[in-house]
Amino acid sequence: MALDYDRKDCFIVEGKLALPYSYFAGRVGSTFITTLRDKKKIMGVKCPVCNKVYLPPRQTCERDLTDIRDNWVEVQPSGEVVNFTVVRYDDKHLPKKAPFVMALIKLDGADTPIVHILDGIAPEEVKIGMKVEAVFSSSPTNTILDISHFAPKKPEKAFVSERKPSGAKGEEPVISEEEKLLKERRKAMSKKVIITAALAGAATMKNQTPSVPYTPQEFAEEAYKCYKAGAAMVHVHAREDNGMPTHDHKRIKDTHDAIKEKCPDIIVNLSSAVGMGKTAEQRISQIVYVKPEMASLNTNTMNFSIIDRKTGKIFIDFVFENTFTMLQDFGKAMEENGVKPEVEVYDLGGLDNWLLISKQGFFTKPYNFNFVWGVAGGMSFRPDMFMVLKNALPEDSNFTTCGVGIEQFPAITMSCLVGGHMRVGLEDNIRVPNGELAKGSYEQVEWAVRIAESLGREPATPDEAREIMGLRKR
Amino acid sequence: MAHKKNRNVAIIGVGQTKHSSHREDVNQPEMIHEAVSAALKDANLSIKDIDCIVHGNMELFEMIHQPDLWHVLGTGAYGKDSIRITTGGTVGTTLACASDNLVASGMYDIVMAIGFEKLQEGHTTGGITNMADPLWFRNLQTGALTGSTAYDVIQEFGEDRAKRAAMMYRIVMDKHACLNPNAHRAFGLDFDQVETLMNTSPQLVGELRLIHMCSQSDGACAVIFACEKKAKELSKKPVWIRDHITIHREETFNIFGYHKDFPVLKTHKFAAEQLFKRNDIKNPLEYFDVFEMYDPAAWWGLDWLRDFFFLKGDEHLRLVENKEIMIGGSMPINPSGGVIATNPIGATALLRVAEAALQVRGDAGAHQIPKEVKHALASGFGGTMWTVLMMLEKELSW
Ligand SMILES: [Zn+2]
Repeated sequence: MALDYDRKDCFIVEGKLALPYSYFAGRVGSTFITTLRDKKKIMGVKCPVCNKVYLPPRQTCERDLTDIRDNWVEVQPSGEVVNFTVVRYDDKHLPKKAPFVMALIKLDGADTPIVHILDGIAPEEVKIGMKVEAVFSSSPTNTILDISHFAPKKPEKAFVSERKPSGAKGEEPVISEEEKLLKERRKAMSKKVIITAALAGAATMKNQTPSVPYTPQEFAEEAYKCYKAGAAMVHVHAREDNGMPTHDHKRIKDTHDAIKEKCPDIIVNLSSAVGMGKTAEQRISQIVYVKPEMASLNTNTMNFSIIDRKTGKIFIDFVFENTFTMLQDFGKAMEENGVKPEVEVYDLGGLDNWLLISKQGFFTKPYNFNFVWGVAGGMSFRPDMFMVLKNALPEDSNFTTCGVGIEQFPAITMSCLVGGHMRVGLEDNIRVPNGELAKGSYEQVEWAVRIAESLGREPATPDEAREIMGLRKR
Repeated sequence: MAHKKNRNVAIIGVGQTKHSSHREDVNQPEMIHEAVSAALKDANLSIKDIDCIVHGNMELFEMIHQPDLWHVLGTGAYGKDSIRITTGGTVGTTLACASDNLVASGMYDIVMAIGFEKLQEGHTTGGITNMADPLWFRNLQTGALTGSTAYDVIQEFGEDRAKRAAMMYRIVMDKHACLNPNAHRAFGLDFDQVETLMNTSPQLVGELRLIHMCSQSDGACAVIFACEKKAKELSKKPVWIRDHITIHREETFNIFGYHKDFPVLKTHKFAAEQLFKRNDIKNPLEYFDVFEMYDPAAWWGLDWLRDFFFLKGDEHLRLVENKEIMIGGSMPINPSGGVIATNPIGATALLRVAEAALQVRGDAGAHQIPKEVKHALASGFGGTMWTVLMMLEKELSW
């Protein structure tokens, strides 16, 4: 309704201000625009202190003022809609004819969303969370419009979707109470499953599979791929350049740090077994030195040999020594240093050993167990035995499982089915279920993700895994 | 009696960029960040130690709305309390006054004031035009240039003496700027050029010539203020803020001349009278060891000496003619080179406070004055006809 009042004798000064300006983009902004224009690459910068990948890039991290101008990382041209609006009026300053959608899009690999046009979809079809991808402009504009717009992402054949980094939850979209309840219920039904990748072990060698890592750099690369595929944790036995397992503090720390640098989010679980022939001191002092978030704790002295599975012929006979004293001393050292033990259970007796020693009361809840199948000297995978072990666990326990060779996938499938977690990796098995050599531990992670998805469970992010297992982030 | 303060406040860190006509290599937050990191380094603090950020520049000079929000990436204000202040040319000193008040009140222990300008990016006259009333004055004003002071000084002291004194003032400022590595314009002028420059520098308005006028600069300044307790804990050489005053009393914005019955441009004198009276300073020329003055042009700098120091007759001219305003003189004015050398407007008046503080600390480097600086004065001037004065002290002893 028009406001009706007397305008008689009201003089209005009609003016116009023409205000020219220029904007110096700065070197970081300039690099972003020219790389987008010339290489059709979308570049962000990563803060090594808070691990955020900023897009658009900036010279300093706003949170800790770290200078990040040189820490370029390429982010994916695809991502998801985190919010949007529909522009329903035409104006000459607008980039498109109404109606059109302006969306906040978080690209894969970035922690901050950018604003852009979302096209190729009717406004009423747009949903928060939908996957979209950049459509680059055919001729350069020297502006952010070198990405012409974003469009809904075409479905891919790949069944593994890259995981979101943990901690990067962002703002919750506004949803109705009804939707919220439904979401809660779904969430309750699908418990998160922690996928661990045991990257190397002590015995898997490059002549068996070239993907097994030896150098810190190789470990870092492999861990990163596993993380991208859905692993929340890696289990590590450090190696020398020649592949020999090592108890050398510096080498182990370098390996640990290389992984954390490449992939700061992921949990590193170090072995306290290290490899054959190491002394108790060599096995535990490196854990205290490096202080990983988690480390393996072995429960019984046992045969740990290499036997021909078909003929029963002994190749290498070895006794893996884990006395009660070691179980006690290693366990205490870990707890005192904030390293969460992953209790390795090779048979029911091992679990009973732990239950005995735990009466001393130094183990902190929640307890985390790993059922290990198929070691020559331990037990073979049997579903009923799995249930016996699961039912023998004390309260506040989590369990995961791993299996040597062909026992790997059946064992982890059972674990996932009955509410446990899963460990894969070249330490335990060098193949994928179809019998081919795995391209790396990450390919087994992809299979594990597939198992989880088919059982209605979602892979846990590292932070979710920390919450489940009671770890302190490092 | 100085104005009542809940607790004492000191400057414990200063930082500034190198000032220049262009900074294509950095955007605004990046440039500001240079001053912020320099101030934090000077104070040996990290951004975590800062409780509040006070941000200031000229309204719309960079054609950016809410610059304090744009600049969070460089200021470090993320997650902190933050205020934007814009009072025209005085903004830098207003930032200092506000920071002093914020700490003195007990609200914050450590406050960082940040003034900046990237004049090359915006359109200064486009911004300044908005300060004139659209109905009465907008069609009539000339921006920041005015020839009236030159006219008045010439009327009072004769053409030759007035022009020489103004050019002497200009050359002294350039000599000072040549000693300041952060100064924007440092030409290397010498006193034997007085006559040539008087006659050859292009005229802007009447006898206000290009060489007399301040620069347009890109640059930023950051100053860290702390309460007495923190200042004593954190700083070996805290510079104490004794008092400050802000005056604006012009009924009409008129910069092209005035009648004796309608005086304008006397806010400096009024501010100095009020401030010195309540601090019981009878002879400011004797009391202060150095003065960082907001001097937008040589004619103004020359003329305003009289207002600030209550001088009589031609005393202010003689101060200049006898080079008493030089580093090493009895009342050094702008050892930094002043506003004529360096003028990133939103930072300019804060630079006066920062440079005065450096003089008190004895940390001004090549442009440090040779005698001990116990008492320093800094001024701000700006649209529309405001004066801000701030007194800095070496000892907490008044
Ligand atoms: Zn950061």
